[in-house]
Amino acid sequence: MVDVANEVQKQVREKRPFTVMTVLKNRWFLYAVSVAAFFLIWDRVAIARVFSSGLPRPYEVVLQLWSMMFDPLAGKSLLGHVWASTQRILIGFAIASLVAVPLGLMMALNRYVNAIVKPLFDLLKPMPPIAWISIAILWFGIGETSKVFIIVIGTFVPCLLNAYNGVRLVEPELYDVIRMLGGNRRNEIIDVCFPAAFPAIFAGLQISLSIAWTCVLAAELVSARSGLGFIIILGMNLSRPAMIVGGMVIIALVAWGMTLLVTGLEKLVCPWKREIEGL
Amino acid sequence: MAYEYVQVKTPLVLRLLPVLSIVLFFGAWQLVVDWGIVPSTMLASPIQVFQLFLVKWTEVNPDGGLLSQHIWTSVQEAFIGYLLSLLVGIPLGLAMGWFVVVEGLARPFFEMIRPIPPIAWIPLTIFWFGIGLEGKVFIIFLGGIVPCVINSYVGVRMTNPTLIQMARTYGATDWQIFRQICIPSALPMVFGALQIALALCWTCLVGAELLAADSGLGFLITMGRRLALPDMVLLGMIMVGLTGAVIGVIIDYFEKKLLAGIRR
Amino acid sequence: MDQPATTIPKIRCEDISKEFIQKGRQRVHVLDHISLDVKENEFVVILGPGQSGKSTLLRIIAGLETPTEGHVLIDGREVEGPGPERGLVFQGYMLFAWKTVLGNVEMGPKLRGIPKKERRETAAHYIHLVGLDGFENHYPHQLSGGMKQRVGIARAYANNPQVMLLDEPFGQLDAQTRYFMEKETARIWETEKRTILFVTNNIDEAIYLADRIVTMEGKLPGRMHVVYPVDLPRPREHTDMAFLKLRHEITEASELTL
Repeated sequence: MVDVANEVQKQVREKRPFTVMTVLKNRWFLYAVSVAAFFLIWDRVAIARVFSSGLPRPYEVVLQLWSMMFDPLAGKSLLGHVWASTQRILIGFAIASLVAVPLGLMMALNRYVNAIVKPLFDLLKPMPPIAWISIAILWFGIGETSKVFIIVIGTFVPCLLNAYNGVRLVEPELYDVIRMLGGNRRNEIIDVCFPAAFPAIFAGLQISLSIAWTCVLAAELVSARSGLGFIIILGMNLSRPAMIVGGMVIIALVAWGMTLLVTGLEKLVCPWKREIEGL
Repeated sequence: MAYEYVQVKTPLVLRLLPVLSIVLFFGAWQLVVDWGIVPSTMLASPIQVFQLFLVKWTEVNPDGGLLSQHIWTSVQEAFIGYLLSLLVGIPLGLAMGWFVVVEGLARPFFEMIRPIPPIAWIPLTIFWFGIGLEGKVFIIFLGGIVPCVINSYVGVRMTNPTLIQMARTYGATDWQIFRQICIPSALPMVFGALQIALALCWTCLVGAELLAADSGLGFLITMGRRLALPDMVLLGMIMVGLTGAVIGVIIDYFEKKLLAGIRR
Repeated sequence: MDQPATTIPKIRCEDISKEFIQKGRQRVHVLDHISLDVKENEFVVILGPGQSGKSTLLRIIAGLETPTEGHVLIDGREVEGPGPERGLVFQGYMLFAWKTVLGNVEMGPKLRGIPKKERRETAAHYIHLVGLDGFENHYPHQLSGGMKQRVGIARAYANNPQVMLLDEPFGQLDAQTRYFMEKETARIWETEKRTILFVTNNIDEAIYLADRIVTMEGKLPGRMHVVYPVDLPRPREHTDMAFLKLRHEITEASELTL
C-alpha cells in the first residue's frame, strides 16, 4: 500500500507572536471592548434622556423581560408568545415548502411545466409579501389563517427559486454516471437530481427563515393578540419602552437561535457542502 | 469542413404556453369576480382595478391623495433610506473586511442588530419619531444596511490573496492595498448588494407605511382595507410591485454600465 | 459462413461519423468514418491532442451519444444507449458527493437490485483492488484527486461491465500522482482483466499502458491516423530503449498532422 498517494485533506493553523499590539489588534479583545462600550453608551444615553419619549436602560429591559417570563401578558407567558410566533412560522413554512420545492424541481426538469408556471411566477415575484397583509385580512379576517397565509406567500418564492436553481446547477455528467451504472429516468431524479440539489434547497431555508420572521412580525403588528410582534406593539400602545425594547431583544435572540439551528441542521444533513468564508 | 451554420427553433407549443398561462390567469381572475364565486367585498376583478387606476390619477377621494402623490411619497422615502444605507453600509463593510480594528469594533454591534428584522423596529420608531418621514427613512435605512455591509465585507474577504501578496512585495501600505486592490476587487459583490438592498428597502417601506403613514402606496393599501375597498388594496399592491420592478430595472441598467469591463 | 467465437471482436465500431449542433447555430463535424475493432481483454489507448474527437468517440461507444452514421457493436450486439455493460470513468471524477466511498462504489449493484450483503462484499472487494482500504466511510470531499479517481474506477468495475471506458481519467492530476495512477491502472488490469478503451493526450501514458495505440489526427473532423501495436513486456519502464524509440516515432508522426 503506497501511503504517499493517500493524502486526506486536512487544515493547518499558524502561530503568531504575542505582543501588546497583537492583543490590541486581536479580534476577540476588540469584540469585548465593543460590546462593553455598547452597553455603556446605551446606559449613558438612556440616563441623559436624549430620546425624550424614553430609551430604557439595559437594566430596566432585563427586569421587564424577567417579569414577562412569569407574569402572563394578555393571557400568555413570554414563552407562550414566542411559541405563538414560532408556530405560525413553522406551519406557514411547512405548507410553502411542501408546494414550492416539488414545483421548483418540476419546473427545472420539465420544459412545459416551466413554460406554464414561470411567467406567473415572474409576475407575482416583485410584490413584497407584506403587501399581501391587507388583502389577507380582507379574505381571512384577523385570525391565525391570515398570518399563516402571509408566511406562506413570503417563503414560497425563495423555496421555489432555490429548488429550481438547485436542479439547474447539477452537473449534467452526473446523470450520465447514473445511466452508465444502469439507472433509468426515475433513478436520475431520485438518486442524482434530488440529493445533488439538496444543499441549494437547504440554503433556501435560511433566506426563507428571515423572510418568514419579517412576515410574521408585520402580520402581528397589524393585528394580533399573541406573539412577539404583539408584545412590541402593545409596548408602543402602552407607552412602555422597556417592553418594546425587551420584545425586540427576544425577537433577536429567537431569530438568532433559529438560524443557528438551521445552520447546525445543514451541517448534519449535508456534510459535503463546501464553505465560503464570510459572515 | 468541420463547422457549418444551422438554425434550430423552439417548438411552437413552448412559445405559446407562457402567453396562454397568463391569459388564463387573468381570465380566471376576472370570471371569479364576475360570477360571484368570491364576493365583491373580498376581491376586485382586473378590470375594476384598472378602472380605479385610471380614476386615481385625478380623483383625490376616498383616501385623500392622488396616485401620483402616493407613488412619489413612497419612492422618495425609499430612495432616501436606500441611499443612506448605501453610503453608510458599503464603506463600513469594506473597512470591516480589511481592517481588523474596524471589524473588531463594529462587528458585535452589527451582529446584534442583524437578527432583528427591520419591521420589528417600527413600534420603537413610531414611539420616538412619530409617523413622519424620519421614522420611515430610519426603518428603510436599517433594512438596506445589512446586505450592503455583508456583501462589501465578503467582497473584500474574497480578494485574491496572491494579488495582496504581490502588492506587498512592492512595498504597498495597508491603506494603499485597501484602496487599490481590495475595493476594486470587491466591486462585483458590492453591486450585487445594490439589488438585494433595494428589494429589502422596498419591503421595509411597505411595512412601515402599512402601520404609520398618511400618504404612500402602503397607506393606499391600508386605506383600502379599512374602507373595505378591495380594488384599492389590489391597486396598491400592484403599484408596489410595479414600481419596485421599475426601480430594479433602472438599478440593473446602471450596474451593467458601470461593471461593463469587470466580469463577475 | 461460420465464424468461430474468438474472432468476433469485443468492440466493433463500423464507420462512425458524428455531427453536433452547437448552441443552436453551428454544426460541428466531429468524427469522420472511424472504424475500430477491439479484442477481448485488450488494452487499447486512443491518443490525440485536445479537440480531436476522441472523447466523443468514447461517449458514442458508451452509448451516451448516438452516431450520425455507423454503429457500435459490443459482443456483436448494437449499442443503443447507456448501460451497465460498459463502465465509464470520467475525467472530472463525477462522484456522488452525498455518498461515502462505499456508497459510491456499490451504486451500480444497488441499481440492479442486488441484496445488501452481496453488494457490500463486491464493493469491499473493488475498494481493496484500487488500494483504498480504510477509506470506505470517507466522503469524496475529504479525498485527494488521485483517491477520487480510484473510487471512480472502483465504481465502474464494481458493476461488472464487459468493457471499461476511461476518458482522460488522469488529466486533472499532477505529474507524479499520474505516474502512480498509471502503475495502479496496469496493476488493476493485470489482476482483473477486462477489455479497456482508454483515451488520453499523453504519449508516455499511452505507451506505458497500451497493447495497441490508435492515434487521432489533431484536428476536426476526427479521423484515425496510425495504429501502433505495443509489444513491450510488462511492467514497462519509461526509460527503456524500446519505449523511448516508440515514443520518438509517435511524437514525430503527431507533429506532422498538427
